[in-house]
Amino acid sequence: MKPTPEEERLMNNFLPGKISKDGFLGSDSRHIHDIIEEDMRILEALDVDRTYLADRLHFFIRRGREGLEMPVEEEGYRIEVHWQRGMLPCPFGEPGLHPKLMAFVTHSASGKTIRYSQLSVHLIRRHGFFGGKGSFFRLQPRELVHFFCDRAGLACAKDPETAD
Amino acid sequence: MTQILITMGVLGGINGLLALLLVIAEKFIANYGSCRITVNGEKIFEIQGGSSLLNSLKTQKIFLPSACGGRGTCAYCKCRVLDNGGTVLPTEAPLLTQDEIKNHVRLACQLKVKKDLAVEIPEELFNIQEFTAVVEKLEDLTSDIKLVRLQLKHPETIQFKPGQYVQLQNNPYEGVKETASRAYSIASPDSDSRVLELIIRLVPEGIVTTWVHQYLKAGDEVRFTGPMGDFALHEGEGEIVMVAGGSGMAPMVSLLNQLEKQKSKRKITYFFGAVKRSELFYEEVMKRFGERLVDFTFVPALSQPDPDDHWSGKTGLITRPLDEYLQTIDTSKVQGYLCGSPGMIRACIGVFSQRGVENDRIYYDPFS
Ligand SMILES: Cc1cc2nc3c(=O)[nH]c(=O)nc-3n(C[C@H](O)[C@H](O)[C@H](O)COP(=O)(O)OP(=O)(O)OC[C@H]3O[C@@H](n4cnc5c(N)ncnc54)[C@H](O)[C@@H]3O)c2cc1C
Ligand SMILES: [Zn+2]
Repeated sequence: MKPTPEEERLMNNFLPGKISKDGFLGSDSRHIHDIIEEDMRILEALDVDRTYLADRLHFFIRRGREGLEMPVEEEGYRIEVHWQRGMLPCPFGEPGLHPKLMAFVTHSASGKTIRYSQLSVHLIRRHGFFGGKGSFFRLQPRELVHFFCDRAGLACAKDPETAD
Repeated sequence: MTQILITMGVLGGINGLLALLLVIAEKFIANYGSCRITVNGEKIFEIQGGSSLLNSLKTQKIFLPSACGGRGTCAYCKCRVLDNGGTVLPTEAPLLTQDEIKNHVRLACQLKVKKDLAVEIPEELFNIQEFTAVVEKLEDLTSDIKLVRLQLKHPETIQFKPGQYVQLQNNPYEGVKETASRAYSIASPDSDSRVLELIIRLVPEGIVTTWVHQYLKAGDEVRFTGPMGDFALHEGEGEIVMVAGGSGMAPMVSLLNQLEKQKSKRKITYFFGAVKRSELFYEEVMKRFGERLVDFTFVPALSQPDPDDHWSGKTGLITRPLDEYLQTIDTSKVQGYLCGSPGMIRACIGVFSQRGVENDRIYYDPFS
């Protein structure tokens, strides 16, 4: 199906240099809908809701912010948040802006680190978009589930306090 | 999942249909000819119709703020359109309140100029100009903070109030084919209107800061617009307590220069936070202010000094020395000036309020 001019304008937002330096797609040549669909299938197979993952990511941002750029320990994770002035629009084009905030979360026992921004949390929660393959901010859904849920048989229970 | 795809599909479908109708309509009436824009009832411009109001005003050197590059998402370019604006567009409606709609407020980036328009714009925006400048010097202040010194070319001088900022535009580089603009506070004194100093911290994967840190060279020509912003020194007799971190140093230097120029007798205490010694900079500059200002104390604090730092100064997050200090003074007339990461600013506002400094005596730039 040929994209509408509006769709084309939105797709443009995902390219390098439009909203972010390297864009949101990395080396992924698939259509954004296909990227989302595949990641959603992975989550369905793992029986994990993307809202749960967004809640976790957001919870760590909130805790990390309290450290004012210093690491904070929480539930066996080490979190460092760097928050710069300025805001960024979402490439999907709806109203609103997102803080330029980067989080680095390390699982202390395994040493594995994930990095993401406040915008990443919004993209996952609202749009089910984890980033194109090979993009700087891509979070692999399967790895993310392992990162948060597999620890010592912990269930992926929702954190009721958190919201985007 | 299916729900997202359906929502996306329906939205896409509606948007597509609207866009298609627009394209067809444009085909028949695309030439809007020359249109007249009357600004604040006095300035009148003739422009070629067909562009957004935001871009049309830009051609007349009137720069409305925008943080989303005209994508209709930030709503910073709001202005009143008194005549001929037509109905509010679906792309504007979510960003306007009922009161704003009643008051004919529109998003200049979404409204296309097709007829003569009468618009209302805050007077202070007329001071904003577009400048070209040459990079005179780039200096590493820390491993991720650079001083950028610009020699103005056209216009050759700038008038600004200490505390204000400019919007620096990147030149295209690598995969970045377009330009973006970002706000940077002016760090230089207003006494030399031919140069401008900016203090710019590298942001991971940042469009403009990557360009500044990895591509910009002395001798390059750059563009910026400005000056903008309301962060400024306020009258008062009470002590001035400044708090900054990282690139938040920039407007503080500008304010200190102003206090020096005014031969201010006010007591000034400046808390500057960093993680370790290698992130501290401008200690010499602060020492000079100490010699020239009547009562100035610079208090650097390190949150995690390296053993090699041999640090004997204040330690901990900047909120700690700030809190300790505010407990020792009468805060009833204190003014707080803050600049740095939004997290730090929020935390310091909390400390100030807890120690009796009301919000109307705490000044900082908005985070956006
Ligand atoms: C009033 C004001 C004054 C300021 N003064 C100064 C100053 O004096 N000095 C200074 O250094 N800064 C200052 N700033 C901040 C500055 O304006 C910029 O916001 C900052 O430099 C970052 O710009 P950038 O283009 O490099 O980053 P941007 O490209 O705008 O943003 C980069 C960030 O966006 C997010 N991001 C990018 N791509 C993606 C993706 N694919 N997925 C998810 N997230 C993504 C990440 O969080 C990333 O770190 C000021 C800001 C304001 C509002
Ligand atoms: Zn969005």
